[in-house]
Order: sequence, then C-alpha cells, then structure tokens
Amino acid sequence: MLNEQEHIDKLMLELRRGTITIGVLSQLSIPQYGYSLVTILNEKGVQVEPGTLYPLLRRLEKQGLLESLWDTNEARPRKYYKLSEMGTEVYGQLCKEWESMVVSLNHLIHTGKGEEDGND
Amino acid sequence: MEMIDRYIYAVTQKLPQSQREDIAIELRGLIEDMLEERVGNREINKKDMESVLLELGSPREMANKYRGTKRYLIGPELYDSFLIVLKIVLISMTAGLGIVFVIETIINPVEILDHFVGLIVSLVTAVPQALGWVTISFAIADYYGGIKTKDLGLDKTWHPSMLSAVPDPKRRIKRSEPIVSIIFYVIVMVLFAFSSNFFGVYVFNDGGFREVVPFLNEDTFSQFMPFVLLLLAIFIVKESIKLISGKWTMKLVGYTVVINLLGIMVVSFLITGDAFWNPEFMSDLVHAGIVTEGSEGYQIGESIWENSTRIIVILFLVGLVWDTIDGFIKARKR
Repeated sequence: MLNEQEHIDKLMLELRRGTITIGVLSQLSIPQYGYSLVTILNEKGVQVEPGTLYPLLRRLEKQGLLESLWDTNEARPRKYYKLSEMGTEVYGQLCKEWESMVVSLNHLIHTGKGEEDGND
Repeated sequence: MEMIDRYIYAVTQKLPQSQREDIAIELRGLIEDMLEERVGNREINKKDMESVLLELGSPREMANKYRGTKRYLIGPELYDSFLIVLKIVLISMTAGLGIVFVIETIINPVEILDHFVGLIVSLVTAVPQALGWVTISFAIADYYGGIKTKDLGLDKTWHPSMLSAVPDPKRRIKRSEPIVSIIFYVIVMVLFAFSSNFFGVYVFNDGGFREVVPFLNEDTFSQFMPFVLLLLAIFIVKESIKLISGKWTMKLVGYTVVINLLGIMVVSFLITGDAFWNPEFMSDLVHAGIVTEGSEGYQIGESIWENSTRIIVILFLVGLVWDTIDGFIKARKR
C-alpha cells in the first residue's frame, strides 16, 4: 500500500506529464536548444528534467509540431527546436482548452467546498 | 570523457540504428552543457561527470524515454488468454506425468522410488519447456496481432454501429470444450513422449500385472514421435485459438480447416505405413496367454487388429471433418 505522500507524488507526476507539453510549446516561438529550454522552464518554476525533455522534443518534432535545425557554428553542435506552423496552431488551441479546463476545475473545487458548507 | 562515451554508447545501443547518431550528438551536447553549468571555469573532475550522469538516470531508462513506447512480449489484450492456456497446459501436463507415474508403478511396483524420482525430474524439465513454448506462441501472436490492429486503425474509426452482435448462444464456443481438448492432447503428448509402451493391452494374472502387449512398433517409434508430438502441438494451438476467439467465425473455420487437413495428412501418412504398428502384435498376445493360436478368439482378434488401421483413419477423418463442418454451420448462424 502506498502512503499519502506517495499517492500525491504519483498523481503529481501524471499531472506534470500532461502539462509539460504545453509548457514546452509555449517557449518555442523563438528557437531554443534542449538545455537552454530546461534552464528557462526551471527558472519559471516548471520543473523538468533533461532526460524527459530531450526525448519529448524529438517526439514532438516527429509528430510535426516542432521543426529543428542543427547549429554547427558554435563550440559544440546544437539542435535548435522551434514551433512549426502546425505547432503554433496546435499550441493556440491547447491554450484555450487549458484555460477552460482551469475555469471548470476551479469551479468544481470551489463549489464542491461551498456545498459542504451549505452556501453555494 | 571516457565515462561520457560509455554512457552515450549504452543509451544509443538500445535505440534504432537510424536515430543513433543524431541522439548521440544531442546527448553529448546536453552533458557538456550540464557540466559547464555545474563547473564554470574550473577543471572538470570525475565527480562532476558522475553527478551529471546520475541526474540523467540509467542508460536503460534514458533509452526507454527516447523509444517512447512500452515494450512487452505479451500485451494486455492477450494476457488473460495467455494465463488461462498456461494454467491448462501446466495442470494437464502435471496430470499426464502423474498418470505416467501410476502406470509405471503398476507395471513395476518394486521400483516405485525410481519412478517417483523420474516424476520429479520430468516435472523439473518439462514445466519450463511448456512455459517457454506457450510464451513463445503467444509472443508471436501478440507481435503479428498487434501490428494488424494498429494498421487497421480500428480505434480511431470506431463507431457504436460497428459493435459486433453478441454471438448467438449456438455460435459461442463453450470455454470448457477447448479446455478439455487441450488437457486431453497434453496428457496424450506426455504419454507418447514417455513411452510408446503405454499404449497396448494390459495383461494381468493372479491379481498382479504381468505385461503390456504394445500396439505400436517400439523399434521405429522414435522416428515417428516428433511428428506425433508436432501434430498434437498444432492441435493444441487450434484449441487455444478457439478458446481466445470464444465464438465461431469464418476466419476460425479457415484456421480449423488448414490445421485439420494437416492433421489428416500426417495421420494417414503415419498410420497406413507398416512400420507404425507392432508387427508381432498377434503372436505377442498368444505369448501373453490371452488367446491361443487357431481359436475363434484368435481369429476375431486378428481381424480386428488388421482392420484397425483403416478403422482408426476413418474415425479420425470423420472426427476432423465433423469438427470443420460443425464450425462452419455455427459460424454461419447469425
């Protein structure tokens, strides 16, 4: 049996996994390479490990949401990713979905409490 | 730097050839970036490298993330059937070996300890084998089955109108039927694998066992045995397909026809040859004291014995043809 904290960790992992794609897409209107993206996201409070992000970037590229370009001019070759046309479109739609999801869930959470107290 | 090379090699080794080079460059870049951030301008030491690689996680996990899909031998769709078939096979095999033990003990009660040791030894060797074969069969089924459902894109275009009708009770295959068949085949398989001697006329006198007059030709049987075992294995596969399908469909009838034809061919080939049966059967019976030469009983016995090849082939044919027709009729019911 899992204890409380373990349950929370597991559920948070799933929640994070679901939202991380939006986080990544949000930062890629300008080209970024993998590690710079890790840094940016972590600075903004979205924790993501390189071991998760790198494969994710490749997957999104394969699905056509991202485009990539190798930059070989710097000291070490870096693969830059940015939103493709379709990716931009998809990101816009995702944001709308996300907003409405936040509203609905907030509503659920708050009215749920309200009913318990008896004042909806 | 050697440690990094090793890490990258370990990861890319587990990935498809086409992606290796790309991912290797990317990973190296990542690791160097991480090191740089950690160390700044100071010299990189072994500890830094270790901590970076530890953060990235084991090469296996890393490769799994790159690969994306979970990899398994037998997917959730087939897993239940796999467990059922496995249980049936293991239980019936144990039962078969138990029967072998009992027969051996009847034949030769003095060496019961040896028989018991034999039973344990064969359990130890046969159980992993059965496990292996069942697993391999299901893994193959999963591999080819999995590709098919993906290609057809069944899930994407699914619509409630596509739900197939609840099979007519007459079209349904009762679970007990294939299960009983599989148990039967496995027990026969075990008996065959052990000794052709178990198939014969058991002679008792004075309340004790004397000997078995075998039906089969002991000298040539070892040549036939692989075919017999293979045939039984194919039949077990057939029954497993029935068990998984759960209802008669034209596709299932198709499989049945192919497998039954194969069965008919192998059996006709085996049984009609002279070498399969015990050529001395009648004189062995006389020796055993069951019949005396020239008596009426002897003649009856001889004519039964000589016709038995034909009778068995015919019975077998009728059985298999019936199996096919029965399936066909049931599959056509709507």
